[in-house]
Amino acid sequence: MAEKAIGRDIAPPDLRAKITGRARYAEDFRAEGMLFAKLLLSPMPHCRVRRIDASAALAMEGVVDILTADDPLMPEITGVAAEAALTNEPLYEGEPVLAVAAVDETTAADAIEAIRVDFEPLPFVVDPLDSLRPGGPNARLDGNIQWREGQTREIREFKWTDEDFDAAGPDRLPMGEAQVEWNVGEVDDGFADADLVLEETLLHQSLSHHPMEPRSVMAYWQNGKLYLHTSTQSTARTHAGLANRLGMDQSDVVLVTEYCGGGFGSKISGAPINDVAAIMSRKTGRPVMLRINRYEETYIGRARPGFQSFAKMGFRNDGRVTAIDLYIVQDAGSYGSSGDFNTAGTVASLCYQPEHMRFRAVSVYTNTPPRSAQRAPGGAQIVAMLEPIMDKAARELGIDRLDIRRVNAPGHDGWLGPAQGTMSSCFAREALDLGAEVFGWEERTQLSATRRGTKSIGVGIGISPFVGGSRGMDGLLVIRPDGRLYIHQGIGNLGTHSIADTARAACDVLGMEWDDCEVVWGDTSRNLPWSSSQSGSQTTHAHTRSNHAAALDAKAKLQEIAAGALGGSPDSYDCADGRVFQTANPGRGMTFAEAARRAIDMGGRYSGHELPDDLNPMTVASATNLAGEGLMGVARDNYGGDGSIWSWVMGFAQVEVDVETGQIDLTEYTGVTDCGTVLHPRSLAAQIHGGAVQGFGQARSQKWVFDPQWGVAFAKRLYTARPPGILDVPLRMRWAAVDEPDPQTPVGAKGIGEPPIGAGAAAIASAVADALGGQCLCRTPLTTDVVLAALTGTEQPYRPLETHV
Amino acid sequence: MELWRRAANPWNQEVLIGISFDLMWAALIAGVVFVTGHALWVRSLATANGHGDDAPAPPGLPARILRHTFSARAFHWLMAISMFALLVTAFFPWAGIQFPWVTIHWLAGVLLILTVVYHIIHSTFWQDFWSMWVGRDDVETAKREVKRFFGKEQPEGPKAAKYPLDHKMYHHAIVVVTFAAVATGVLMMFRVDTWFWARNPYILSDAMWGVVYVVHGLSGVALISLVIAHIYFAIRPEKWWITMSMFNGFVNRKEYLEHHDPERWAGDGPQGQLPEQT
Amino acid sequence: MAVIRDMIPPCELFQPASIGDALNLLDQYGENSWVLAGGLDSFDWFKDRIKRPEAIVDLGGIEELSGIRADGDGLVIGPMTSLTEVATHPDIVGRFGLLAQAAEHVATPQIRNQGTLGGNLAQDTRCWYYRGGWPCYRAGGNICYASAPKAMNAEHCVFGASRCVAINPSDTAPATIALDAQMVVTNSSGETVYDAEDFFIGPGIDIERMTVMEPGDLLTAIRIPGTWAGADFYFEKIRDRQSWDFSLVTVASAMRTSGGTIQDARISVNGVAPYPMRLDEAERAVIGQAPTDDIGVAAGDIAIRRAQPLRHNAYKLPLMKNLVRRAVRAEV
Repeated sequence: MAEKAIGRDIAPPDLRAKITGRARYAEDFRAEGMLFAKLLLSPMPHCRVRRIDASAALAMEGVVDILTADDPLMPEITGVAAEAALTNEPLYEGEPVLAVAAVDETTAADAIEAIRVDFEPLPFVVDPLDSLRPGGPNARLDGNIQWREGQTREIREFKWTDEDFDAAGPDRLPMGEAQVEWNVGEVDDGFADADLVLEETLLHQSLSHHPMEPRSVMAYWQNGKLYLHTSTQSTARTHAGLANRLGMDQSDVVLVTEYCGGGFGSKISGAPINDVAAIMSRKTGRPVMLRINRYEETYIGRARPGFQSFAKMGFRNDGRVTAIDLYIVQDAGSYGSSGDFNTAGTVASLCYQPEHMRFRAVSVYTNTPPRSAQRAPGGAQIVAMLEPIMDKAARELGIDRLDIRRVNAPGHDGWLGPAQGTMSSCFAREALDLGAEVFGWEERTQLSATRRGTKSIGVGIGISPFVGGSRGMDGLLVIRPDGRLYIHQGIGNLGTHSIADTARAACDVLGMEWDDCEVVWGDTSRNLPWSSSQSGSQTTHAHTRSNHAAALDAKAKLQEIAAGALGGSPDSYDCADGRVFQTANPGRGMTFAEAARRAIDMGGRYSGHELPDDLNPMTVASATNLAGEGLMGVARDNYGGDGSIWSWVMGFAQVEVDVETGQIDLTEYTGVTDCGTVLHPRSLAAQIHGGAVQGFGQARSQKWVFDPQWGVAFAKRLYTARPPGILDVPLRMRWAAVDEPDPQTPVGAKGIGEPPIGAGAAAIASAVADALGGQCLCRTPLTTDVVLAALTGTEQPYRPLETHV
Repeated sequence: MELWRRAANPWNQEVLIGISFDLMWAALIAGVVFVTGHALWVRSLATANGHGDDAPAPPGLPARILRHTFSARAFHWLMAISMFALLVTAFFPWAGIQFPWVTIHWLAGVLLILTVVYHIIHSTFWQDFWSMWVGRDDVETAKREVKRFFGKEQPEGPKAAKYPLDHKMYHHAIVVVTFAAVATGVLMMFRVDTWFWARNPYILSDAMWGVVYVVHGLSGVALISLVIAHIYFAIRPEKWWITMSMFNGFVNRKEYLEHHDPERWAGDGPQGQLPEQT
Repeated sequence: MAVIRDMIPPCELFQPASIGDALNLLDQYGENSWVLAGGLDSFDWFKDRIKRPEAIVDLGGIEELSGIRADGDGLVIGPMTSLTEVATHPDIVGRFGLLAQAAEHVATPQIRNQGTLGGNLAQDTRCWYYRGGWPCYRAGGNICYASAPKAMNAEHCVFGASRCVAINPSDTAPATIALDAQMVVTNSSGETVYDAEDFFIGPGIDIERMTVMEPGDLLTAIRIPGTWAGADFYFEKIRDRQSWDFSLVTVASAMRTSGGTIQDARISVNGVAPYPMRLDEAERAVIGQAPTDDIGVAAGDIAIRRAQPLRHNAYKLPLMKNLVRRAVRAEV
């Protein structure tokens, strides 16, 4: 009997190519006659193109063509605040205005430099609060927020009153009319019941994604079909999105996305900029490569929305949260409609299960680069903001900081959000307990605020839940006459190993050796099924399920084929080690290779010539292409389930804050997860640690600074943006998992990409506050200047709500 | 030769940022050319100039007539010091001689403004304000001077009151240029930290700043030429008597009678009386 | 004309094999030449097309410019010696450990392998307004954006501002000052030797340069005299992240202590002024004193006495004070 693939450390199939450099990313591809394109970026945060003079550029030798927003070939992008690849009204400094294609990149760049664009400056704003002031500037000509009511969405101007601002004063959040409000219970009742009420003004700043690989793209057309190589998180969803954007049939687009150098939510279903290569190629009739460099990536590469916020929390003496009153002003950037603020409200309710809660928010456009989901969108911000308040409450109530979290953490019956939804499972308390044990909370908490020389020790906890799955995707696999199992994956290869790890579900259902399984991914011409987007930590859950379902389908077919050939009922057969055999008489059976040949001969549903009718058209197309190549397992995930799927990471950190220099030395970190069944321990460790490291940067060093006078960004190099470096990572990082299966999913596994970042950020924020004797700095990032000002009692370098600093 | 310096502002809009460094050299050369030309002209072409001292001396004319009171001289020299300091601190660094010049420059600018303010008040209330006015006689003199320049024999025009025409013209040129420099300089003070305010470069748009810098630069280089000319005339032998009066205040009776019309200017004594009735 | 960043335009690269050849090239191209050492500073400028020299003179092929050799009781270090070599060379580690520590705190191992001591000393400022290609004073314009009322200047200077408020970002520069190093600057008319302290200049003197070196000049040697060999050293660099980050404030000190009192001291800081500062007054305050925390605090107070913080960088005062204090106290 083959060893189960799930739960073991198995190197994913793409590892060797990545390590040896043989893996080809989007910008590594070349095609005959390929042109290079370069972009002209807006120099102003908000302006209008009055005139473009490209005559000198087009006259240059080697320059082939120019593409502007007005080009008739450019797709019409509809929808409220929809983002086109090129624009005549840039909404942020760095927004692409036009592209030039030339025989080489140097010529293209020189051509861009030879173009004169006459821009008319328009009013701009970088701080949401400035835009909410009466008479304040709007980021867009038609307003500053996206109003949603039912299905209606429109841009509106939304202002608070002078009284709102006067009442708050300069350093507290003014709380005018909210765009979104929901209530659970009656928050004032909750505060009336409270023994302790805490109030804080909180700032979480926006920060860019900075994936290692910029979103480069290469495109060419053959016989009316578009071939596009790009860096994206998802494959099937990007394929669909791209076809939809370009108004094409999905079957006329071939997308190659075998490798992706990181996305963190910034490349979920492709990037608008893909249009430029696709359309330029169409226009010129030649392949076009658009290499995005680091500088361009910091503009078009997306960012996490910042929050200017107010939180009021009520506690009973035992630490139980009676009420949360949360107000979030979200910096929505120039496009999109990131729902971070809504998710933040939901996550707050989930973490602390308040008896009463009021949530209010407004999401304001600014003339800063577009926001999108970034690893635990909304969740990572809110836990980093609220966890230090939990510490403060524990301290004031004289209870242990672990206990206050246990008291409030949800069980399986926990609720979340305005609709008070349920969860498929929740082992939050178990994860806290396991974390306390692995980290040694008891002993370490004794070190709180003790000194080691000039260093003050702090320990902290950050609890971080996030969505960990979705349902209803398709699985597609084929057992070919070579006896091997080919698992087709429509999910992307983001670097999380999920293309391989979710395939293990199929492997185990069929009792195969992993070495006999082959994962097919990353190229839509290779017949991939419809899948979830590679985001929201969905894939582990969604595609262990879909592959499980497809494998069960294949297994049933194997049993039927064997029973048909060898007698007995299909139920009397089982599968293992590449054979289907009679359970009572294992010698009686046939190899998968034999079964596959028979399936081809039998045709119909066995070979994929007949398909279930609940499949997505993309799966149908792929399965149809594969029909007759072997025994096909194909199914939609119809397992169903109740409640939403949430995973957790509990972060535990120990820091040493030098009281003379403000330097934070992170000495210990432990992340403990509830993500259901552990699929792949080593990969899970990479997620828990890697996400935490990103969270360290979020909470401690990462910046996205704009000059308020000009609305121009500064942190557009990695060294000025300061994502964490290797020396900011503690030498020792540990992890553990509760490893309790989610009862509502056959494999029991939930996604784990998102929660680690919030855990890392919140744990370090909590630990720093602890080292400072319980002082909550209530802002990110906790840079040296901010910490030192707190330590020396000198004036803070920034006002509490001053953002983009 | 470029006239202006331009740059792309943070929004990549082309803005003026000042005059070209070349203009400093141009002004220097212009000054030198003028001086040389004038010297050569005087030596080779100039016809006899000057009035005789044949005018009847007013009764009681002293041996020395006060031309510049002490306060007037103090003003002149303070202004000269500040002007030199301004020019040196402005242009030496352009010429490659580097030193910390900013504070000296603006302090000298403040001194210049103070002396100018003092001068305006002083000349308005304590001096004969109209002595610098260009009158009908001056126009007549000017006509004849021009003809003389082209080699025509001319009878002398009317004698000057306190100031001959060229002094007046020079003065007015200096007034225009200095006012331009001072007005723009005051605005530019908002770009340095002083004891009274912190700098703020955004009080004007960058297009306006460009104009301010250009005007300041143009007046600065104009001052180079003007100062060269001034020094040149001050050291010319035939003007030496005037130069000396800026040191000791007086002109002697002979020079007074030769160059000035006693009817129109009787010296800078109290109430227009001739001082030092000795 | 539109802007392209992050892409080096084609340019003329010269790779002379001798100092003489390099000087000839520099003379030939004058202001349009660019001296290239490790390239960590230069390439950023080239990539952003803000500096577009006509001729790039790469010193990498000039053997006489690299290496470390003894010179009496001191050392002579070639400016093209890599920072890694400076950080690990036994003579430097053993006798002038301050410089080794300083070199070791630069950026990352890769950058230290590629970066040179000379390049680190002569590097340009990292003011993000200036590096962004804005037409500020340092770029030949007539404005300092970083000191404007709402400007983002947490990383700018608290001393030595003169129109420009940028800082000198070099980690090794304060160490050379503390070690009384000398910089040998060569041009076609000969050699001039500068004390490290005088090698770095502020914007008051020349707003477009960080050092005395003008077009045509080459840094040809760094001389470390024996004066401070084996002294007590202290180096600390404070930054927002622990690798690949420029300093917020750095202190480098050398002291000789005997009989419980400080006999002689050199204290230098960087990150607070447009040039690395030697803290003469603080030095005088500690000489003859015991290296205690109290004396450290007193020296720190003296050090920051005339500081003039900008809107966002007042934190540099307690930081600088505490670093000076630690440098003194380290001798306990």
